[in-house]
Amino acid sequence: MTSGWSLIWENADRFAAGALLTVELTVLTMILAIPGGLVLAFLRLSRWRVVRFAATAFVELFRSTPLILQIYWVYYILPVFTEIRLPGLAVALTGLVCNISSYNSETFRAGIVSIRRGQWNAGLALGMTNAQVMLRIVLPQAAMRVLPALASTWVSLFKDTALVSVIHVNDLAYVALKIRTETFVILPVLNAMALFYWLMGYPQAKLVDWIHRRYKVAE
Amino acid sequence: MLDFSPLVTRWHFLLNAFWVTVYISLLSMAFGFVIGVVVGALRTYGGRGIDRVLGFYVDSMRSLPQLVVLVWTFFAFPLIAGFSLSSITAGVVALSAHLGAYMAETVRAGLTSVRKGQMQAALALGMSGFDAIRKIILPQALIRMLPSLGSLCTFAIKDSAIASVIAVPELLRQSQIVTGQTYRYAMIYTTLMIVYFLLCYPVARGVDRLYRRVAHLGSS
Repeated sequence: MTSGWSLIWENADRFAAGALLTVELTVLTMILAIPGGLVLAFLRLSRWRVVRFAATAFVELFRSTPLILQIYWVYYILPVFTEIRLPGLAVALTGLVCNISSYNSETFRAGIVSIRRGQWNAGLALGMTNAQVMLRIVLPQAAMRVLPALASTWVSLFKDTALVSVIHVNDLAYVALKIRTETFVILPVLNAMALFYWLMGYPQAKLVDWIHRRYKVAE
Repeated sequence: MLDFSPLVTRWHFLLNAFWVTVYISLLSMAFGFVIGVVVGALRTYGGRGIDRVLGFYVDSMRSLPQLVVLVWTFFAFPLIAGFSLSSITAGVVALSAHLGAYMAETVRAGLTSVRKGQMQAALALGMSGFDAIRKIILPQALIRMLPSLGSLCTFAIKDSAIASVIAVPELLRQSQIVTGQTYRYAMIYTTLMIVYFLLCYPVARGVDRLYRRVAHLGSS
């Protein structure tokens, strides 16, 4: 049995690959969940009741159930309806995107609603269409206001990616737990896993605090 | 597909698991709240040194995944401490430590949101600092914190499902045992989605409603 930190060093490339996948999952999910959240937010502000209800139901379902269960659910329910078995990574991404899109939609909706009615009226009085007012007047102002909330969602997303390890996606958590079962070296491996997450997460948490201070809504 | 027999034949087993989920959620909410009030108050009023140390704890918990905290507490902590924890104890300890950090942030935001004049008035009336916080500042702050506390309570319920990875016999874990025996994955996990939704959604909406009723008590 190899002892302690030399074992971590020997497996450095596997840890690095896991950490890279964790970062990739976080980035990719957010890139997909920003348009996803915007679409859901627009649907929830729609003038048709059926559309509003469907979008609200989707958002509330994904906000009120555990992400770990959502990942299992997508993993087992997709093949039932589509008869295709997606690779684990795609399943993980689907679950994360549905979840984060729901949270983002609430953030965007709050941001859009927070822009005063007068801004709409002024835009319309200048002869803009609804879509133009939304794109040129409301969204640019809302974007600054939602930044702090988006940043907080980013950090929880980074943490939540660890849950994809339950469906055998080779992220940092999965790699660490796998090395533990292969080698029976428990303490150093689990310490290393926590340390690597901490090293990546701590600066992000600090950055979020800074964004909150910098872009705080003051009226 | 719609064969509910696994749920019917094992309803007792799953009902017990449901109560374990409720039990560890409530415990981690309670301990998390205590940690949150103590840490939040100490960070607000305890001076710079204490703020730094406790800030390190809070920010560390904000940067570590729940899964990592749970696994570390259950598998690594006993090797350092020299005694082992049952999975439920480890689960509650880890979830409380994690949730407590978020509660602390909420409490701190609530306490600092109460205007300085309230504290000065209380001190001018001859109250001790501790009494002023307990009787004047904290009650107002608690009302203002209600929306965040409510969403943290739903997080406690949702995070309890992650305890399945350290074999806490809660709802998700026990359902996995049932799926392993019956292979009714889609049906059982869909049922679970509904059960967790029915557990979390009323908590979120209930707290919102309560807040709308009492919000005026928090303004000064």
